[in-house]
Amino acid sequence: MKFWLSRIGGALALILTVSAITFGAMNLLGDPLFNILGPTAGDVGNPESLEKINAAKEQFNLDEPLPIRWGLWLGDFVRGDFGPQFSATGQPPVSDLIVERLPRSIMLLVMAQTMATLIAVPWAIWSASKANSVADRTSTVFTFMMIGMPTFALGVILKFVFAIKLDWFPLTFTANDPFWSRVYSMFLPALTLALPVGAVYQRLLRTDLITTLQDDFILTARSKGVSRRNVLFKHALRPSLFSFITIFGVNTGALIGGSLVVEQIFRIPGLGSAIVEAILREDFPVVLTIVMLVTVTFVVLNVAIDLLYSVIDPRVRAS
Amino acid sequence: MSMSEFGAEAEIEFRGTRAASPELDESGELENASRPGSTIDVDADEKAAKRKLGFTFWVSALWLVLVIGGAILAPYLAIKSPDVNFIQPGERPPYSPSAEHWFGTDQDARDMFSRTLYGARTSLTVGFAAIAFGVLVGGSLGLLAGYFRGKVDQFISFAFLTLLSFPALVLAILITVLLERSLTTIAIVIGILSVAPVGRVARATTISFADREFVLAAKSLGARHPRIIIRELLPNVLIPMGAFSLLGVAIAIVAEGSLAFLGQSVEKGPTWGKIILTASQSSRDLEKYPFMAFFPIMTLFLTVLALNFAGDRLRSYFDVKELSL
Repeated sequence: MKFWLSRIGGALALILTVSAITFGAMNLLGDPLFNILGPTAGDVGNPESLEKINAAKEQFNLDEPLPIRWGLWLGDFVRGDFGPQFSATGQPPVSDLIVERLPRSIMLLVMAQTMATLIAVPWAIWSASKANSVADRTSTVFTFMMIGMPTFALGVILKFVFAIKLDWFPLTFTANDPFWSRVYSMFLPALTLALPVGAVYQRLLRTDLITTLQDDFILTARSKGVSRRNVLFKHALRPSLFSFITIFGVNTGALIGGSLVVEQIFRIPGLGSAIVEAILREDFPVVLTIVMLVTVTFVVLNVAIDLLYSVIDPRVRAS
Repeated sequence: MSMSEFGAEAEIEFRGTRAASPELDESGELENASRPGSTIDVDADEKAAKRKLGFTFWVSALWLVLVIGGAILAPYLAIKSPDVNFIQPGERPPYSPSAEHWFGTDQDARDMFSRTLYGARTSLTVGFAAIAFGVLVGGSLGLLAGYFRGKVDQFISFAFLTLLSFPALVLAILITVLLERSLTTIAIVIGILSVAPVGRVARATTISFADREFVLAAKSLGARHPRIIIRELLPNVLIPMGAFSLLGVAIAIVAEGSLAFLGQSVEKGPTWGKIILTASQSSRDLEKYPFMAFFPIMTLFLTVLALNFAGDRLRSYFDVKELSL
């Protein structure tokens, strides 16, 4: 119980720190009033502009000291009110943008993780069953190359081969398409994310499988006459999935970063491109909301995995 | 692994070892696993094989020397200027590779070979400077955390965790938008991203040395903390860190490229990321003139691969343990 409490407390502290840093950096390094109103912000002499300035200050609580503004923002955020965008009208609210963009990003991530797993698991089993053979060594070199391939380069290559030369996939994403054709047009972007991650999964799972295959219970199973195939799939795979669970969570963070670039290359209007656009416009409420959503997801996922871990393996709780 | 997400690799390795799996070296040989039936001779053979750096290491090293040498010497070599437009009368650029332009030219008829070489200057500088920053800051913090443990360790580890829970690229663009995008800014931004992963390796390595006899001996002779850290621990931590930081340089170079794709790389001059972006931005150009993207992508890819191979070989050569202590 104490382990769980301290883990959750640490996660909360982490989320608060991240929000404070992001909020502070944007307000101290940028000029919120200018970002909202543009040149009008400096035009204090004109009574009409002054009115707008005061209205904006009122709406965004700009007259309050920074910590209080952070507190006010945090209170709203927790209640699911992400506030208005930085613009003269503040319309549409940030939550509208999130509701529009989030499903696409989630779809991309889910597809990428699914593909990575579908690539990695059979490949790892195949590799582990032939450990240290020429085929296995070649595949290790191949994983090395996939891990070394930058996301943007891989994206450009896949786009060139499969979308431009072979014309199997559409070049861009169309928001109004029916669901399945949107899934179809996300195939290449998801594959771009999935290949390097799948290679990481493959290497890890292969290592764990080889270790598990050295265990006595495998020898027992083999000597009882269980077939090689059944030993691999039924006895060895399950205990080897242990660290796979952890890496799955960690990699979601990596995938979110990669998806920023991939969304740019394949022109997908998801959260990644939303945050890039918002940063360029210095639309801080949007940036802040997306950073927070990503951080919370990442942290919650990792706490969940730690807890899952401590349920499976009690030794974790002790350390 | 998505290379664009800085530090993910280090994190993976830390978290990955949690399941108490024995270490495997690059070729997949089991090192510490109990192996029924394996004889002592086999182990000795493996050890002997492990103390060699191997063919791939030297090929990688050769490539790196070529690229780094070319980057340093670029202004003194007899190559074309990267910024001059070599318009050929009657023909519209980009021009295909030829004896005149080895890698062809870009849309503005600028020589791609010299742009790739000059791009290497910026990209490699960013890569190495960023990791130097990471090693300096992250390494010191990791040493302190690993040596003192307790409250100091808790605080520093929490700081590392905070850094790691930002989506790395988001943190990077956040800073690059707010500040002027000079070479120094970009290098420091990527350096900040490397602090946590490098620091965690330093911390883990320090912990594994802090209880060793020679440290105890120094302590009982009355050595003070700074002396123990600098004279006893630092040399032991530095070697594994060096091998690890080669992998870091690869990730940093890719991070620069990712930033370029988000329009946030170094403003002045060519970088690998910017060159590849210009070559591939329009699908029509990519379709008609794929060589424009092909050559810089190959150069980048081979460099990243060479750094990975060299780093990985060095790491198993020096037997770096990434324990999640």
